[in-house]
Amino acid sequence: MKRKLPLAICFVIGIAMIIQFFIPHPTSLEFASMIYKWVIVLMVFALVLAIGNLIRHHGTKIKKKKQDWPYSIVTLTSMVIMAVIGLFWGIQSESLFQKIYLNIFAPLSATMFALLAYYMASAAYRAFRARSLEATLLLAAAFIVMIGFMPFGQYIHPRFPAFAEWVMRVPNMASQRGILLGVAFGSIATALKIILGIERAWLGGKE
Amino acid sequence: MKWYEVISNIDRRIIYVLLTVLVILPFFVRVTIPQNIMPQTQRLFDFIESIPPNDKAAMITFDYSPQTMPECHPMAQALLKHCFGRNIPVIGISFDPQGPGLAIDAFAIVVDEINRLATSSEDSLIYGKDYVYLGWKSGRIAAMLDMGESISGVFPRDYFGNAVDTFPLMQRIKNYKEVAIAIILSAAAYPDDWIRYPQSRFGVKVGAGLTAVMAPKYYPFLQTGQISGMMSGMKGAAEYENLVLKHGYARELGTAETGMNSQSMIHILIIIFILLGNIGYFFSRRRSK
Repeated sequence: MKRKLPLAICFVIGIAMIIQFFIPHPTSLEFASMIYKWVIVLMVFALVLAIGNLIRHHGTKIKKKKQDWPYSIVTLTSMVIMAVIGLFWGIQSESLFQKIYLNIFAPLSATMFALLAYYMASAAYRAFRARSLEATLLLAAAFIVMIGFMPFGQYIHPRFPAFAEWVMRVPNMASQRGILLGVAFGSIATALKIILGIERAWLGGKE
Repeated sequence: MKWYEVISNIDRRIIYVLLTVLVILPFFVRVTIPQNIMPQTQRLFDFIESIPPNDKAAMITFDYSPQTMPECHPMAQALLKHCFGRNIPVIGISFDPQGPGLAIDAFAIVVDEINRLATSSEDSLIYGKDYVYLGWKSGRIAAMLDMGESISGVFPRDYFGNAVDTFPLMQRIKNYKEVAIAIILSAAAYPDDWIRYPQSRFGVKVGAGLTAVMAPKYYPFLQTGQISGMMSGMKGAAEYENLVLKHGYARELGTAETGMNSQSMIHILIIIFILLGNIGYFFSRRRSK
């Protein structure tokens, strides 16, 4: 029963949602709207679960004084401070919450991401070698797109940006379309397997 | 050590120093290089131009985080200037939890700039009448689909806690029928969901402003017309800023133009280093043979 009931709900709702998608009748739309609202509410519960998990994970780390446990104190303190400030002093554009977000969180977050530029430049220099025909083609395509998309690419040759755009629009698009179709067919197959109860990994536990 | 070994083993600290200098330099030495406008950016601009003033709204989704702020934030500001300049009402929403902070910042910057120059209340932008920001919502696919029925059903209150139905704008804009285009500013695959669900179900026109790494994925959708126009990375943002300035919707260029100079410098540096590495590799391989 523990497994059969979720499978039955999944099958009934899955089939009903597919059918309603093609029937624009008010009753069908009302049913869909109700389900969408349930999904939104369920997702909020997932968020509560995530917060609980975060507190438990870092709480255990602090309690057992595991490696880098002081950072866990920073994480939990920051979460509590931001939640309290947001709840009691508001989240308007002039609020303290927004000031902290823009002047502490945003620069820190952007800095972490910006470090990638250093690693990428260093890695590209060391690893991007024309070792084979495929690697040479990749290298050539990268140069064409990088130079073509630079503002002064047009000064190297007036048609250079158009050529870079062609690389994106034709060879890139062809490969992207192939990947997209593959992913789409895979998604349809997986969705059908879940609805029909063939794929049961989402239920968790052992078979 | 042979010369080719030297050029293929440059200390990474030299690369880091050069990179830092070249990123900072354009912020002090202002150079404006004319942007050649890519067709997809022009298409997005032309689409916004084709929306009649004071009619349907433009829905802008702020689904980017501070990590991708240099690319997406100038796009947001240029788009807002364009829409407000043409008297197109704007509805802002977010499905990325990091989006709201940046969304209200973009609105604040653009609205302040326009209202500072306004000579009468007619020229000023009023929250609830000309624009609203509805905030973040969980369960994005369900929310996207449900907005086809009722936007205020999904967002009963805006980001600041006001009842959405009390706004004059939202009394007029009920669902996607009154939305001319949904423009997704994102660093992730959010446009996929907009194309799959609201577009296929309700025929919503979709535009996009994406980071440069995400943009190549959406060329097939541009070709089929499923995406009505797209800004691609910082270049796309700089191009849109140029278009907005050229058509008189802004007084000066935004931050993407300067960022583009930094980015170009870095690209040149990376190209030079890759070339050096390959020359070194080529000669050392020839020597070993």
